[in-house]
Amino acid sequence: MMELLPQALTDGILLGGIYITIAIAFSLTYGVMHVIDFAVGEWIMFGAFTGYYLNKWTGLDPFIFLPVIFVIYFGVGYLVQPVIHRVLSGTKGNPFLMGLVFTFGLAIMFRGLALTAFGFYSNSIPSAFSEGSFNLDSIGLTVTIPTVRLMGLAYAVAITLILHYLLKKTNFGLGVRALAQHKDAAGLMGVNAKRTGSYVYGIYVGISAMTGVLLGCILSIGAQMGNEYTIFAFFVVVLAGMGYLAGVPWAALLLGLVQSIFMIYFNPSHTLLAVFVILYIILLISPRGLFGKGV
Amino acid sequence: MKTSRGAAILAIITAALLILPLVVHDTFVLRVLTEGIMWIGLAIAFDVIAGYTGYLNFGHGAFFGIGAYTIGILMMQAHLPFWVALPLGGVAAALTALIAGIPTLRLKGAYFAIATWALSRAIQQLALNVEFTGGPDGMRLEAFLNPLFFYYLMLITVGAIFLVLWYLLERAPFGLKLKAIREDEEGAKALGLNPTMLKMQSFILSAIPTGILGGIYAYWITFIDPSSTLGDLVSDQAVVMVVFGGMGTLFGPALGAILIFAFKTIFWAYLSDFQLLYLIILGALIAISVIFIPNGLWGTLVKRKAVARPQEKPEPASEPAALSAVAVPEEGN
Repeated sequence: MMELLPQALTDGILLGGIYITIAIAFSLTYGVMHVIDFAVGEWIMFGAFTGYYLNKWTGLDPFIFLPVIFVIYFGVGYLVQPVIHRVLSGTKGNPFLMGLVFTFGLAIMFRGLALTAFGFYSNSIPSAFSEGSFNLDSIGLTVTIPTVRLMGLAYAVAITLILHYLLKKTNFGLGVRALAQHKDAAGLMGVNAKRTGSYVYGIYVGISAMTGVLLGCILSIGAQMGNEYTIFAFFVVVLAGMGYLAGVPWAALLLGLVQSIFMIYFNPSHTLLAVFVILYIILLISPRGLFGKGV
Repeated sequence: MKTSRGAAILAIITAALLILPLVVHDTFVLRVLTEGIMWIGLAIAFDVIAGYTGYLNFGHGAFFGIGAYTIGILMMQAHLPFWVALPLGGVAAALTALIAGIPTLRLKGAYFAIATWALSRAIQQLALNVEFTGGPDGMRLEAFLNPLFFYYLMLITVGAIFLVLWYLLERAPFGLKLKAIREDEEGAKALGLNPTMLKMQSFILSAIPTGILGGIYAYWITFIDPSSTLGDLVSDQAVVMVVFGGMGTLFGPALGAILIFAFKTIFWAYLSDFQLLYLIILGALIAISVIFIPNGLWGTLVKRKAVARPQEKPEPASEPAALSAVAVPEEGN
């Protein structure tokens, strides 16, 4: 069994890389809106299905569609966010609770829509990269790296770098960070919370949808896949410490490792349980995340 | 005067429900009523933690399923009688609440909401994967086919739940303490309350009735499986009922439960092919309620009434009252 370990670790790191993209965008949205989006998994699922159908209709490789999918879902997110913003800035009832309930309702609605439209079948998106793989036998390791997973990691690195640039080097990023620190003060300094929120939410939905396509190429797609990824996104964000972006990559890699180790050594259907046990222990011992820097 | 009239209306409804089976002999009607009453109980139990304390438990269905499975396992594998197993269903739900609450209730609301939701998914996975629950095939209980017995059992249980919760939340200082936490946790702490402890108590108070109702449901329906009792539909429905009906009251969730359940019954009777459509409607209903009636149907109706009759002084808003009133019993300690 030990000879499988390098393979498990490699798979885990490659998969974890992809989770980084979802988790950073998810964490960013939380930072700006201060509300958790329960529909994260559903955005991933919608993106995956869009990729699946675009591929079916045009016959082109799903990797070519990624920018198209980003643009579509950026638009969707940009249009949805004002509604969430309205709920959050309401005066009746408890806006924070209402925001949570609202995204929860969205998630249920989206799941129903997807089940109605796509049924219960699961599929995978064919890609030119699905076939090939690299063998590392030459350096003495029995590790196979499927090309598609390597492409996934390249995508994740690219997205992470772009987001990093956007956040740290642009005025827009400055506004986002200011909003995350103090909403009212940022508003006084001339940051338009409403518009920035819409952009951030759009970016987050776009990235989630793109990542959905990749997950569809690497693993599988199904109308019920959303639940699992919502839990994964939450896992990463809690492990990293809510709102602490620098911890996200490590937590995402850990999630990828847990998942691949369970796939190889244990029953894959116990992955969710393992994820939950780890989450529970982390919350018990260090509720502010692995690094103790969350809010 | 207002209270006595409300009590009179409640007494009439209760009496009508008690006599009803003597008049109506149709088993279908009885079954629908039994389930409707059960949903009232589930909705008000959910509201204890969500509406009164301000912590959303998106995995309320987990307690229901745990209650159902506890009774199923105890009756079929340990051969305990129903009356012994039933309270243990509540105990199992309370223990789960305790275990889930310890790490999450110390934290802000968002953690709790998603952690409880994740917990319910994890418990469903567990039930699917272990032996003693029967896995995906579910579990068949000894059939006790007496619709009248279950109608009255459900009615009495939910009536008792309602009375206990009404006393604790609307009459005893406990309800005010919970509201204080909901409105301002730091402020409540400053008044000498222990929010973590109170939140835990309210979480357990919400779990016990849910577990017991799950147990009755299991014995009544005689068949439980992970998707029917532990699936997300139970939690989703509870959320819709409470949000649509009105959070933070006992009547709001009850009203929501009656309306949603009636809708569901009619909807499924005529359009049985479109069960997935129901999910869309539930989700849309949550979103619409949040945008247009954030206080829920009950809250909106009560407010309308208060506005329409300005000469009658409207009841003071619970927010400031909650904080000041809580201080009084605390000083006595």
